Amino acid sequence: MAVQNNTTPSAKRRFQSPFDVATPPGAEGWQELYPYYAHISEERRAVEEQKLWYFDGMHNPEPLYPFDTIMTENWWVAASQMTTKVWPIPVAMGIDQRIINGYLYVSPNSIDDPAEVARRAELFNERAGHYYENWDTIYAEWKKKANGCIERLKQIQFKPLPEFEPEENVYGHRGIYSSHDLLSSYNRLIENLFEMGSYHFEMLNLGYGAYLTFREFCQQAFPGISDQTITDMVSGIDILLFRPDDELRKLASRAIELSVDGALLANSDPASALKAVGSLPGGAAWLAAYEESRNPWFWFSTGVGYTHSDAVWMTDPRLPFTALRGYIEALRRGEDIRRPLDKIIETRTRVTQEYRELLPTEDDREAFDGLVKLARTVYPYVEDHNFFVEHWHHSLFWEKVRELGEVFVAHKFFDDKEDIFYLHRHEVYDALYDMIIGWAVGTPPRGEVYWRPIIQKRRKIRDALAKWSPPPALGVPPESITEPLTIMLWGITQETIQQWLGGDTAEDGVLRGIAASAGKVTGRARLITESEQLYDVQDGEILVCRITAPSWAPVFQRISAAVSDVGGMMAHTAIISREYGLPAVVGTGFATVNVSTGDLIEVDGTEGTVRVLEKAVQA
Amino acid sequence: MSAAAPFVLWLDDPIANGHPALGGKFSSLGEMTASGFSVPPGFGITTSAYRSFMDAAGLSEEARRVSAAADKMALEDIKSETKTLIAGVLNAPLPAQLEADIREAYAELERRTGVKDVPVAVRSSGESEDLAGASFAGQYDTFLWVCGIESVLHHVRQCWVGMFGEAVLSYRVDGQAVISRGDFGMCVGIQQMVQARAAGVMFTLNPLNGDRSKVAMEAVWGLGEGVVKGDITPSRFMVDKVTFEIVERKRSDQREEYRFDPSQGVAVLPIEETRIGVSCLEESHVLALAELAKHIERRRGAPQDIEWAVDVNGNVRVLQVRPETVWSRKAAQSIVGKSRSPIGHVLARMAGNQIAKPAATGAKGAA
Repeated sequence: MAVQNNTTPSAKRRFQSPFDVATPPGAEGWQELYPYYAHISEERRAVEEQKLWYFDGMHNPEPLYPFDTIMTENWWVAASQMTTKVWPIPVAMGIDQRIINGYLYVSPNSIDDPAEVARRAELFNERAGHYYENWDTIYAEWKKKANGCIERLKQIQFKPLPEFEPEENVYGHRGIYSSHDLLSSYNRLIENLFEMGSYHFEMLNLGYGAYLTFREFCQQAFPGISDQTITDMVSGIDILLFRPDDELRKLASRAIELSVDGALLANSDPASALKAVGSLPGGAAWLAAYEESRNPWFWFSTGVGYTHSDAVWMTDPRLPFTALRGYIEALRRGEDIRRPLDKIIETRTRVTQEYRELLPTEDDREAFDGLVKLARTVYPYVEDHNFFVEHWHHSLFWEKVRELGEVFVAHKFFDDKEDIFYLHRHEVYDALYDMIIGWAVGTPPRGEVYWRPIIQKRRKIRDALAKWSPPPALGVPPESITEPLTIMLWGITQETIQQWLGGDTAEDGVLRGIAASAGKVTGRARLITESEQLYDVQDGEILVCRITAPSWAPVFQRISAAVSDVGGMMAHTAIISREYGLPAVVGTGFATVNVSTGDLIEVDGTEGTVRVLEKAVQA
Repeated sequence: MSAAAPFVLWLDDPIANGHPALGGKFSSLGEMTASGFSVPPGFGITTSAYRSFMDAAGLSEEARRVSAAADKMALEDIKSETKTLIAGVLNAPLPAQLEADIREAYAELERRTGVKDVPVAVRSSGESEDLAGASFAGQYDTFLWVCGIESVLHHVRQCWVGMFGEAVLSYRVDGQAVISRGDFGMCVGIQQMVQARAAGVMFTLNPLNGDRSKVAMEAVWGLGEGVVKGDITPSRFMVDKVTFEIVERKRSDQREEYRFDPSQGVAVLPIEETRIGVSCLEESHVLALAELAKHIERRRGAPQDIEWAVDVNGNVRVLQVRPETVWSRKAAQSIVGKSRSPIGHVLARMAGNQIAKPAATGAKGAA
């Protein structure tokens, strides 16, 4: 076990210093995978040692691939500039980042000088007020911008450099050639990501702010009210994140109508299933429906979309086909698989109305009405941006990077297109320039021999880092946590910090977390730290993970309970578990450190405890 | 008051619903029965019966004098002041018709339940319980597991006498002895005993902070006496009244319970190993009870304090309902500090201000 900072749990005020974290064996030299500015360093020790750094296992559960840092570096600026420079939010500054042993640690900055807070508040009220007042219009514009950005991304293409320039580049008097096109395509690709990355946060912090205000109002009025209940009061029913799953339900019904359901059930491999369907009389019609559903709804990541390694339905349809078969079987049993929309709306209306009536005064009811209305106004953005940005755009982006990887393979730099992810984006630019020098000059580029050993070494380092379990936090906790994203998205509060300070396991060997879905189950654990491992899940196993992504839903048909390290209000582990009626304990902090695949564990989703009953025999 | 009321009134008699001659507890139980809630069968020996007895025994005048004097009585004088009255109530003969009515009603309860000498709870149900703000919680007597008509008649008198006990005469609300506010009668309720597997009390609000969105429950193995008396630490449950989520639970490590024992009557007895460390309520019971609490509160239009039991067959029974008296008397306090537009609230929050203070705790105001 790699967490060594818990020698005297009761007396602790701080976490291990980020400077004291040891490099895991086999990962020596890991620093070279990442740019200089992402490292903890002696020059900035005074600041870095006194801050709280918490592990962002929610977005980046795995050690970062060098290229994938484009995502974290994007929000390092894009999310932070909104709070510091654009609005600016009076009490919050940006969220800082460092990479430690390959894992992303983040740290919110705050402002406490009252004069500065007041100066910022004036600007903030005007600027943020403008956004709230014009929310729907701005969101409509936002969708146009997002669609435009995705459209331009689709247009970007990467092809190996030609032996001779095509005629049109000569007789068209272009004056610029394939070398320039390749470089500029790469630049446009990177800029396109940062453009979408900027849109990502244009409305997000404000959306969360309105939601958070409503949430806190409810928590004060009704102490103990669950986050899920609050979300249910404002959540839409036609959110885009449900669409991919809805498309599968539709395709399941269509398969039965067209009598291709048998072929889909009989072939667990998607390619064979599609082939078998194609040979049937109703096959062409179903395949047409399938194609229609795929675009864009299969641009859906099995992760959070921040890492290239998360499988995407479009390119790896195993997960949607598993779900599809589940729906077909349910339909054959005579079940209604449509989402009960009327019932959801009815419940939402009833719940909102009942809480409203329980408020003490008319003033409170008025405030409640206004806040719930505003939260419902902003919530479509909060929920839907996720499909546009993380799923659709980013999944497409990773495919484009792979396309560029193919170019490197064609030019003998790499053996595999996936190798490109072991280079930082700035290194990719260098390698591209090396490539066009070689192409232009006719001398073999150094890249043909330079990158292979580096990639091989980095792969080994990253594999060693993947075996290390990052502690949930490092450094010194602040007096109070005020930064809205920290609370909203990561679910980190004063209580979370206290719980983490309490140690990784209680003396009695019981992990404690939030009781998220009732029931008690004993079973074998299946530890998932990389989304690729999802396919290993066996029926009846208990999912143990850092956090689940919405698109893991199909796996929930197979498991008997779920346990996660992190549990913010936006975490889906709890919601999905309740939908499937599975016991779940979230926010345990340390389950992935203490539980291994094959361990016999007991999950009590009523009490919020996880017990290891019997350790698996280690190979 | 209702001189025309019969001496005996069954809970399921259509006129029992809220009938004043049944006193506070039993008229509420009449209402619960009429509303279709599962109330153990029984009848009330009405205030009209009580008055008829007192008149026949020539004790009415003395009772009025003692009640009126209660406000000025020193605690140590109560015993001597009430001595004659109490002896009278215990010994004067019952009017023939009254005694015949009680005997017939008990025989009818034996027929209805199919149990000879059916065990009953004999409960005081005073008119004074109707007074807003006076719960008289635990002040009047209740006798459990009373079997046979002779014992019932004996305990009816015990309940009447309870009117003039130290606890009742000295019970004060806002500094005034409540009993001095009027000439109160006493109904005695006779109700089939519930063989409780578990029992307890619930409030249709959180008694700690007045949060109306919760049902707060305390439960014990066995009869609910332990919860009411406070000598057995109960398990606690807090249920969200809107979503029916159990938001808090604390299991008590209960090793003894109140139950009936043929040789000792109702007593505190050890519970067997298999129930130690086990929750006295299953989740389904907690939720059924919360549902029940919500219905009763809706039906009665105000927060309630409810005694209940889960019988040996797992059925939830209502034993007592009365208005909650602490938070209901406080003026509602707004939780929002300042009146602002919704956007104003959000901007204020994001500028670091708290926009609402905790509900009903009277804590520091919001900015």
